[in-house]
Amino acid sequence: MDTNRLAKELREIQSDTKSGVTVEVLGDNLAHMQGTLKGPEESPYEGGKFYVDIQLTNSYPFEAPKMRFITKVWHPNVSSANGAICLDILKDQWSPALSIKTAMLSLQALLSTPEPNDPQDAVVARQYLDSYEEFVKHAKEWTAKYASENRKDEKEEKLKEMGFGEAAVRNALSRAAGDEQQALELLLTGL
Amino acid sequence: MSQGAGTQDTDDSDPDEGDADYGNAILSGVEAHVVKREEYRCLDAEQVLERQREAVRGVTQVLQVTQDDATQLLRAFKWNVNRVNDEWFGDEEGIREKVGLESSSSAPDEASGMVDDGAEVTCSVCYDEFPASKHTHVGCGHNFCATCWSGYLENAVSDGPSVLDLRCPQEGCKRRVPEPMAKRYLKGESAERLDVFKWRSWVDDNPRVKWCTGAGCEVAVLCHGDRGEGPVDVHCGCGASFCWSCQEDAHRPVDCETVKKWLVKNSAESENMNWILANTKPCPACKRPIEKNLGCMHMVCSQCKFEFCWMCCGKWSEHGERTGGYYACNKYSQSREKEGASEEEKRRAAAKQSLERYTHYYERWAAHGASQTKAAKDLAEMREAKILRLGDLQNTPVSQLKFVLEAMEQIAECRRVLKWTYGYGYYWMEEDGLRKKFFEFIQGDAESTLELLTEAVEKDLEEFFTEEKSLADFADFRGRLTGLTTTVKKYFTTMVTELEEGLPGVGSEVVRAVSLEATPAAEEPPKLRRSARLA
Ligand SMILES: [Zn+2]
Ligand SMILES: [Zn+2]
Ligand SMILES: [Zn+2]
Ligand SMILES: [Zn+2]
Ligand SMILES: [Zn+2]
Ligand SMILES: [Zn+2]
Repeated sequence: MDTNRLAKELREIQSDTKSGVTVEVLGDNLAHMQGTLKGPEESPYEGGKFYVDIQLTNSYPFEAPKMRFITKVWHPNVSSANGAICLDILKDQWSPALSIKTAMLSLQALLSTPEPNDPQDAVVARQYLDSYEEFVKHAKEWTAKYASENRKDEKEEKLKEMGFGEAAVRNALSRAAGDEQQALELLLTGL
Repeated sequence: MSQGAGTQDTDDSDPDEGDADYGNAILSGVEAHVVKREEYRCLDAEQVLERQREAVRGVTQVLQVTQDDATQLLRAFKWNVNRVNDEWFGDEEGIREKVGLESSSSAPDEASGMVDDGAEVTCSVCYDEFPASKHTHVGCGHNFCATCWSGYLENAVSDGPSVLDLRCPQEGCKRRVPEPMAKRYLKGESAERLDVFKWRSWVDDNPRVKWCTGAGCEVAVLCHGDRGEGPVDVHCGCGASFCWSCQEDAHRPVDCETVKKWLVKNSAESENMNWILANTKPCPACKRPIEKNLGCMHMVCSQCKFEFCWMCCGKWSEHGERTGGYYACNKYSQSREKEGASEEEKRRAAAKQSLERYTHYYERWAAHGASQTKAAKDLAEMREAKILRLGDLQNTPVSQLKFVLEAMEQIAECRRVLKWTYGYGYYWMEEDGLRKKFFEFIQGDAESTLELLTEAVEKDLEEFFTEEKSLADFADFRGRLTGLTTTVKKYFTTMVTELEEGLPGVGSEVVRAVSLEATPAAEEPPKLRRSARLA
């Protein structure tokens, strides 16, 4: 892995506060990161903060980063079950001239402009095409339920009051996709 | 209309060198048919390379492009020279873009933004500065430093043959990375792998050629025949035989579809069938377990010397010509229909009977398969070591012992054919009529014919290793074995053809006589009376 380039990439992302995209390294392993992106305005995801799991192989940047939504998203190109993403630049269209940040920005753009004809989640894609209004309603509900910053803060506070560290709480909450009970279990089992 | 994929070479009429005479039918009328099916050619690595070079040379000259571009064009059109020419002269620019070649009109001014004069630029992969040159981009002006080019190419090589289609690292740029550029940044093993991918692509991307399926074999098989016209069995010098169409092990006289069905069925039934695969059976006389280790079905118990048939455990003396009949053990007799049985009983009986029917065919298919494997192993042992000893013992140069190898090759081939006659029988002999009787007659006759050859090799030949024999004895044996091999080969070739044609002989007077169970020795149909009694 080109750690030199990664360091530059991370510095660049941190200095940029306008894009609504953040990336941070989990622990001391550069191969595992977590990103967040703001739901685009005028989309059903507006107001949400979406966590993305990012894993890099040794061949990065010659191989695409592996990305997956941790926060549950109702979107034709994202699996509603496991957050898997269908996006060409994360597969065969990846170029080493792209970066983690450009990939995150592409995810953000994907939230604004779904590609229902190349779906990851067939059920969502069907709904998007057949009854768009219901789709919007569903996506908004999920945004409020799983991606709302306020809700997240509340849960964070509660768990922190139980005596867990902030980083651990945040990590557990995102891995549990915002589910407080599951996050608590993760914290208790130390996983 | 575009040219069919099978027309560009000049050697379409070449018969296969090594196997030209295999499968020549002895029946007039079917000869042409069979020869057509056998039109294939085995090519070694050098010959593959030569054909590849020839095709590339042709395209390079006609289209006035580099060898690398010509290779890429040929790959894009499945190594069909005519198609490359047609498409190119139809829409050169379109093809250039599709394949990722430089545009023919790319004048220097198009490179207005292009920097390659040593000026410092930033590499968009590692973000470092480096001096641009004509070796840091592929004609599109997207410059990357040498380290990143190496990393990009090394990674692509490790991904496999797709490196041959590698494009510029810039997002969205469709310009292909030409071979000289790739070679500049790839070192040692990676550069060699690139060559191997290129060489293999003549086969991998060419519908007329397939790799031999033999383990470790690198022979490519070029097929001239009309594909899709039933199975074409390919026999490679490495000993492998496979079907050109479906790449399963050779399976004539059975068609590919039936083979697929049969293999699927076997894997589904395999749990029920485990007991069948057991390689031991109790001796029918003394009940001691006996292991079958010879390919022949004629078993002799090592304890009580009881001679019996592996298939049916019946007395061997009741098999073969001594009783004036043919092999009784290939016959599957349906259970007698019970009279007055209840519906439930009938259903159970039917299920049992269908399993029994399958078991009958499967057991024999598997037994012949095991014999085929054994025959191949024996052949390999003979070829590698035993034949030298035989040469010493008989004071004969090995070059004059080819008849032994030929006999053993024939045995392996016959086992294979016999094996598949049981797949054939299972699917095509549903009804209990004339055809089935005739089929079983041929099958039994073929088995007994082959047993003669097998015994000659497994028993008579062995004696020359263990006993003092005269030169005259060996000359005698040579004559007998050569004759037997020829007889068996003709017999099986004819049988395969007849089965493939759906037993056209059935219905003739003679056959009817056989089927009506007149004295078989006297009433065999002349066509099939292939002197099993020669020996
Ligand atoms: Zn670089
Ligand atoms: Zn380019
Ligand atoms: Zn081979
Ligand atoms: Zn086949
Ligand atoms: Zn015995
Ligand atoms: Zn028998």
